[in-house]
Amino acid sequence: MRKVILPLLLILLFVGESVFVELLPADIFEGKYILVPRFLLIALLFLTLYGPNRYGLIYSLIFGLLFDVVYTGIIGIYLFMFPIVAYLISKLMKILQTNIFMVSFACLFGAAILEIGVYEMNFLIHKTDMNFSNYLSSRLWPTLILNLGFIILTVYPFKKHFSKLTESLET
Amino acid sequence: MPQFFLNKRLIILLVSIIILVALIGFSLKDREQLSWPEQFIKDTTGWVQTAVSRPIHYVSGFFENVKDLQNTYTENKELKKRLDELARLESEVQMLKKDNAELQEILDKKDSLSAFEPIQATVIGRNPDRWNELLIINRGTKNGIEKNMAVITANGLIGKVTNSQNFTSTIQLLSSMDPKNRISAEVQADGKSYFGLIEGYDKEKGLLLLKRIPSDAKIEKGQNVISSGMGGVFPKNLPIGKVTEVVPAEYGLTQTAYVKPGANFYDIEHVMVVKRSALKPELEDMIDAEEEEL
Repeated sequence: MRKVILPLLLILLFVGESVFVELLPADIFEGKYILVPRFLLIALLFLTLYGPNRYGLIYSLIFGLLFDVVYTGIIGIYLFMFPIVAYLISKLMKILQTNIFMVSFACLFGAAILEIGVYEMNFLIHKTDMNFSNYLSSRLWPTLILNLGFIILTVYPFKKHFSKLTESLET
Repeated sequence: MPQFFLNKRLIILLVSIIILVALIGFSLKDREQLSWPEQFIKDTTGWVQTAVSRPIHYVSGFFENVKDLQNTYTENKELKKRLDELARLESEVQMLKKDNAELQEILDKKDSLSAFEPIQATVIGRNPDRWNELLIINRGTKNGIEKNMAVITANGLIGKVTNSQNFTSTIQLLSSMDPKNRISAEVQADGKSYFGLIEGYDKEKGLLLLKRIPSDAKIEKGQNVISSGMGGVFPKNLPIGKVTEVVPAEYGLTQTAYVKPGANFYDIEHVMVVKRSALKPELEDMIDAEEEEL
């Protein structure tokens, strides 16, 4: 049962990101800041840390490809970035203690790596000409604050759900 | 032994970087149509997106309606003032339309650049990362949508179709950075019109750049900018926006105008895809020496 719920949950978050951007009022903060929801990545990172072995990496590959094809139209960026971030964070958590605060912090760090990586790639292929300091103030900080809010709201339910998923697979 | 594992990882990383570069190169190149797996994925997710986003839009629409109710009184007052003016304008338009039709008949002119057929569509998704401003709509080739068609809202032009599948299409907004995003536009100065090209978008100011206007053109703030239909793809007379500022271009040979877009690029729910009725010229006829250099 939980095995069926997992892809549905991720698909919901995948679509939810675009709905969030659509519904976000245009004049919020006078259009100065751009908030990018990274809900899918955060769920994938929780899955990597709490879920069964390798699930996180496989799902981040699939959803990275899906994200590229459906939303950005440039195949490769998210296909590459999602698994790399998941891999880095799983390695990082082997060094650090696995309590709920450290995991939240690591997920936020993962979202930051993804944001900067995607910015650099877009900069390289001339999809943007924003300079880095501008990028920090208008995109990175607001995005991280938004995603920190999401992490705080969902870290506990995700932890519970994914831990139970792991248990149910082991028995 | 650990050395061996480290090497294996390094090789995986290198191989995946090569694949990444190849894939990005593949998807950036100008493709007439997407490959069938991409089309299939896009259409399938289109169904899911419609199923999720429709109910949510209904709920949010309800709250917006409640908010609108609060301003009804003041809005009503304002609208009543405009109504008198509107009646006069309408009769004038009727007269002009009739005149125009008669004159065209005399000239035996059958198709005009401004004629188009609108296709209604609803937005079902938007690129969350907002680097490349893309929208997904719920109409596709089955409804007659093709690549490069203009997309408008009630307030003006918002972008063009970049690719279309059977049941969904992707729209690129004017606000995304793409050197291929060029629209032949026309400034309506009183009695005269000046031509230029919409090239690029100033993200900080939120204004479109209308470049290559002749240096002797007398353009003032507040004048309307419409599409000229000379690009061969878009019909004529689609409203784009209003001029806010005119500055001389780099070498002083031309002028650049900042244009405030009429349409809002954020709260978009319903759009119209515009199918130009006039004949589309062949690509070979349109390429001139200057474009070939690029």
